[in-house]
Amino acid sequence: MSKRYGFVMLVYRCIDCKACQVACWAENEVPLGKTRNWITRDGYRGTFPHLSVDYLPGNCMHCDNAPCVSVCPTGASSKREDGIVAVNYKKCIGCKYCMVACPYDARYFHPEKEVADKCTMCKHRLAEGKEPACVTTCVGGARVFGDLNDPHSRVSKLLRKHRHKVLLPEQGTKPSIYYIMERPQEGGNLE
Amino acid sequence: MSIQINQMKKNMFQSGKKPLLTLWYVFLIAVLALGAVAVGLRFSQGLATTHLTSAMPWGAWVAFYIYFVGMSAGAFLLSSLIHVFDMEHLEEVGRDATLVAIICMILALCFILLDLGHMERFWHSLWYWNFTSILSWEVRFYGLYILLLLAELYFALRHDLVLASRGEGLKATLAGILKLGSNDTSAEGQERDKRMLKILGSIGIPIAIFGVHGGTGVLFAVVKAQAYWNSALFPVVFVISALVSGTALLTALYVIRSRISGKEIDISLVKSLAGWMVLFLLIDVGLQFFEILIGAYGLEEQELATLAAIFASDFSWSYWGVQMGIGVLVPLILYFNPGTRRSPTAMMLAGIAVVIGILGVRFNIVVPALTVPVLKGLPSGYYYPTWVEWASSGGIIGLGLLLYTLAIRYLPIDVE
Repeated sequence: MSKRYGFVMLVYRCIDCKACQVACWAENEVPLGKTRNWITRDGYRGTFPHLSVDYLPGNCMHCDNAPCVSVCPTGASSKREDGIVAVNYKKCIGCKYCMVACPYDARYFHPEKEVADKCTMCKHRLAEGKEPACVTTCVGGARVFGDLNDPHSRVSKLLRKHRHKVLLPEQGTKPSIYYIMERPQEGGNLE
Repeated sequence: MSIQINQMKKNMFQSGKKPLLTLWYVFLIAVLALGAVAVGLRFSQGLATTHLTSAMPWGAWVAFYIYFVGMSAGAFLLSSLIHVFDMEHLEEVGRDATLVAIICMILALCFILLDLGHMERFWHSLWYWNFTSILSWEVRFYGLYILLLLAELYFALRHDLVLASRGEGLKATLAGILKLGSNDTSAEGQERDKRMLKILGSIGIPIAIFGVHGGTGVLFAVVKAQAYWNSALFPVVFVISALVSGTALLTALYVIRSRISGKEIDISLVKSLAGWMVLFLLIDVGLQFFEILIGAYGLEEQELATLAAIFASDFSWSYWGVQMGIGVLVPLILYFNPGTRRSPTAMMLAGIAVVIGILGVRFNIVVPALTVPVLKGLPSGYYYPTWVEWASSGGIIGLGLLLYTLAIRYLPIDVE
């Protein structure tokens, strides 16, 4: 079976430090003011001063039903065998239809290349057997990366064991990023 | 008195000095020069000269693009209805409608070209064909549609081109080239032209409705991420508002040109055109009301936020003022007020008001929906065009006006 790369986010571990963003900017030479990944706040619970909130790290969801791929007039955006949604910079005409169609706002317009750009899952690092930069740098280990088709991978094991969700399921995009919202017992772990 | 004034105006255009025409050309050249500077900056510095952002990837140029696609489709549909259904009382504006349709489509393509990050790769959308992309289908329909329009204009003008080529001067030389070798001035030839126009019109009507403009509406409607666009009524409203703007433009042009050339205005023609315009306008407003109502009842967060951005934001003047005030209220008052409804000038003003109002419609389609982020927590968009976007848009519209002015001067557009 072919690979299907994806992320599992252990939400309880994210401390909103944004190291993933900094690592991505440095690794991928992301232009100033643009970003390929982000952290959003979700689900404020309780009333002041007894509040809690979740931090959701995100990036391109590398959807199985990627709207950006279906609207692209030239096929510059494509879904690869290994699950990565990739942009061919030489084919892209810069019409920005994909940016309009993406419900996660995962894409930005590259001001120098004049094309649509986004998370590549650090495919240049994957080719060397390394994990994406955002994953290796994550302070709390909130970002877990792996092959969703391999039953022995850490991502598959986590998804088997814990309830999880995807973002904007009503969009029907079938994202490859899963969020585990459970918290472990005090001092425990969720493996 | 009015005959005297008309005679004076006629003299101004046909005597050696033609001050009004000179002034018009000076104005166009100024607009084009400013536009050229803006386009030059856009070429050298890229999309950084715009206020487009990741959250707001489409702006003024895309709004103008759908505006002119709509105007073209509307004008073409009117001309086709004339040819196909033998609406003889409207025949006088038939050629004008075809010409306007061609020029508007050229402008639309100029606008969308400027919006591309890589303008020189525009042909990729034809060469690499992504079957599921509405945009790639649209590009093909636009090409087919322009060819069809050119053919239609040719058959509408052919007889007069042959006649004109027998004279002397620039007009005759041009007609000699454009008649494409035809020398037939027989009655059978004219009958054949009429048949061709009927056939082309019959092919063209579905292409214009479903392919060109309905398709442009579908381009937006298929984007599920923008709840406001994602409705099946959306492309229908696109087509109806195209008919509104097309008939409005032709009403205004007919009165303006008759005034300038001193030709007697056919009041029944003006009333008929304005009547179509108001009918389409009322249908358009009704359908838009349904769309907003159904969207609001859906209680989808996205949709409600977009409606709030349209009705009550810093830019809602473009809805209440331009789209509803200038675009709906003013023309309806002018048309239904007994004091103004018989005045060609009032109908011309109504037409101009609608043409401006529909521009508001197009901006309100593109911009507010994009200001709302789908994923909670991501930044919202904020957009108003830069001077480069405005000036380049002005330049492209100036180009259209120049093409139109030259065409009505050197081509036999007016039915003698």
